[in-house]
Amino acid sequence: MSIVSMSMGCGPPWNSRDEDECVAGTGRLMSFTSPIRRRRDGRYAVRLPDQVRTLLGSLAEQMIPMIDSDDPAATRLFPPAYVGTDTSEAEQQYRELVDGALHSHHHHAVQVLTETVTADSLSPDELAGWLSAIGSMRLVIGTRLDISEDMVDPAPGDPSEPEHAVFHLLGVLQATIIDVLGAELPDDGEPASAL
Amino acid sequence: MTDVQTVPAGDVRTDTDESVSPDRPWLVIVWNDPINLMSFVTFVFQKLFGYSKEKATKLMMDVHVKGRAVVSSGTRDRAELDVYRLHEHGLWATMEQSG
Repeated sequence: MSIVSMSMGCGPPWNSRDEDECVAGTGRLMSFTSPIRRRRDGRYAVRLPDQVRTLLGSLAEQMIPMIDSDDPAATRLFPPAYVGTDTSEAEQQYRELVDGALHSHHHHAVQVLTETVTADSLSPDELAGWLSAIGSMRLVIGTRLDISEDMVDPAPGDPSEPEHAVFHLLGVLQATIIDVLGAELPDDGEPASAL
Repeated sequence: MTDVQTVPAGDVRTDTDESVSPDRPWLVIVWNDPINLMSFVTFVFQKLFGYSKEKATKLMMDVHVKGRAVVSSGTRDRAELDVYRLHEHGLWATMEQSG
């Protein structure tokens, strides 16, 4: 797993005081206050610059054909349930059982993001869709970049630099949404199934 | 560790049909992966299983440090549902029958 690295060259986008555009034009993308906040009416205010929304919309469009493809990075969205020997039959049964629903789940999330990418506010379900879609994008891009836990940022001018910047930005957005939604979870919940 | 084929296979039970006992619970295991954020994994454990933040954080750290952790257990159907819900959230979850 990884924590959100703040070493993008310009720090977290909303804290950057650098007047220069940072990597791939993702500098100064968000305001000093959290870009996503819960409103009193239960909806979530979204304050993101147009260029971030344009990027998210573009990534969402690219995700649609990716979900159904056999691209190695896309297979990360459909992990095996059974590993080890003598499990191929069980795995095949699991795939037959869930693949349709899992494809629908990923498509729905991306569709929600596409339809609400310019919205000023989101319903709880729509924000959940954003979280899911952004998570899927990180998995696909991170897999393609062969991200490792102790990976250092690419050198300036490296061809993968823009995609690393996008990966980082998605991580910051995901962490922001988790901060908002995580604060609403009860802290002493009863386990749904005991260990 | 980004290819599906490289899921660690150590410690995985290799029960044959004859040795599968309906009495032994199925364990749902989450494996470490380099992409998912630690805060996201903790969040998912809290949300899906209703665990306290403390318990969810401990399980997340087990995954991170030890490479895997048992996050729930139960009947085969229950475990399969939990695995599916974890897969919906992009976590690397598998299931195996306890020894």
